[in-house]
Amino acid sequence: MKTKSFAVMACASLILAAPAWAHHAFAAEFDAKRPVHLVGVVSKVELINPHAWIHVDVTGPDGKVTSWMVEAGSPNVLLRRGFTKTTVAPGTPVVVDGYQSKDGSLRANGKDITLPDGKKLFLGSSGTGAPYDQKK
Amino acid sequence: MFYRLIQFVSLGALSVLLVAPTPAQNSSVVPRTPDGHPDLQGTWTNATITPLERPAALAGKTTLTDAEAHELETKSANELAEYDGKSEGPLLTATGSAGTGGYNALFLDRGSEFARVDGVKRTSLIIDPPDGKVPRLSAETDRRLIASYTGGSFNSVKDRPLSERCIIGFGSTSGPPMLPVLYNNNYQIVQTPDHVLILVEMVHDARIVRLNAKHAPPDVRQWLGDSVGHWEGDTLVVDTTNFTDKTRFRGSTENLHVVERFTRTDAGTILYRATIEDPAAFARPWTIEYPFLATPGPIYEYACHEGNYALTDILGGARKKEAEERR
Repeated sequence: MKTKSFAVMACASLILAAPAWAHHAFAAEFDAKRPVHLVGVVSKVELINPHAWIHVDVTGPDGKVTSWMVEAGSPNVLLRRGFTKTTVAPGTPVVVDGYQSKDGSLRANGKDITLPDGKKLFLGSSGTGAPYDQKK
Repeated sequence: MFYRLIQFVSLGALSVLLVAPTPAQNSSVVPRTPDGHPDLQGTWTNATITPLERPAALAGKTTLTDAEAHELETKSANELAEYDGKSEGPLLTATGSAGTGGYNALFLDRGSEFARVDGVKRTSLIIDPPDGKVPRLSAETDRRLIASYTGGSFNSVKDRPLSERCIIGFGSTSGPPMLPVLYNNNYQIVQTPDHVLILVEMVHDARIVRLNAKHAPPDVRQWLGDSVGHWEGDTLVVDTTNFTDKTRFRGSTENLHVVERFTRTDAGTILYRATIEDPAAFARPWTIEYPFLATPGPIYEYACHEGNYALTDILGGARKKEAEERR
């Protein structure tokens, strides 16, 4: 079939051909050898450019609280999709999987942010439940 | 079977049009300013998955049928979903993630469709040369291109790429030539009889085009160059020179020369065409073409410096590494 042969011809990844490059190269800021798994509570959400930051308080086994900052993407896309800084309210328990910054500060990028109900925050390109997606 | 939703803002009133995906619209609805020129004002987006250069898998194929485009658009969306939230993947590799994760798909807004011009979808933004590739001059210009994105050393803020420093948007969002990137592909145009201003959402760049004016003297250099424009019939032609030697569009030098053409082909579309010339960087002049589509406003603020912890972390990480190596 014509469409079949076309699909085979164009089988190479289209993402590779996409207009890539981000604000900065993540590998320069974060350390792939320092994965972090943070179990904590959201204390603040900063919807600022060039990256949004989600602040998470993590209580250690000794009861001591450390405050982490988790880097996310540009907030403008989130705002267009109906997310605001109250979407994840302070006090929300979260689990963050990511990588710590190379300079050793308590900053990390947020590969995965999981909410109490098991939902992965900021995941799911095909149907995030955001108003933006429902409009399409 | 499917229709494309084009929304546009007209003099404060929000209108919604449903248009068939095929032939170009009748130009009778093009709005005009009181002086009779096409009115380019409004909020626009150039988000598209049509890449600048034609992918090897589509070599020799300049356009796609709607069925072919739909198939590839679905494939692209599926790929994005498949790699979402993972530490590795083609997109993360391309954005310099190298195993550290990076953006989740929710933060991306690069469009989901191929760019449509004259009723058909295009496989590359480049329309000349016909092979859809940047006419590269040498390996040296390729090295300059890579360096302009990744930056050379980590000794000073000034060594870092302009986008990392929040000076101009990455990937030539502001241009010229203006190119679609991963997100924030939004623009607002404001027009008077003497000036056209293009506000670029990414890094809040503002291009000011002086109409019927002469270029600034050669010793005046600007990040986005010096843009002057004039009307050729219903097309706004913008000529830009006087770039800095740090702007480096795909390995270009300060002698980069870009001629852009803006034609409002219908109420919801500006056809954008740009010819790029720099004998020290490219084997010959080359041309891109794609549409800007009307999009509901507004443009959002992008106070890049205020939130730029990334630059501190990047330089701090390099200092930490040096200290470890000295031990």
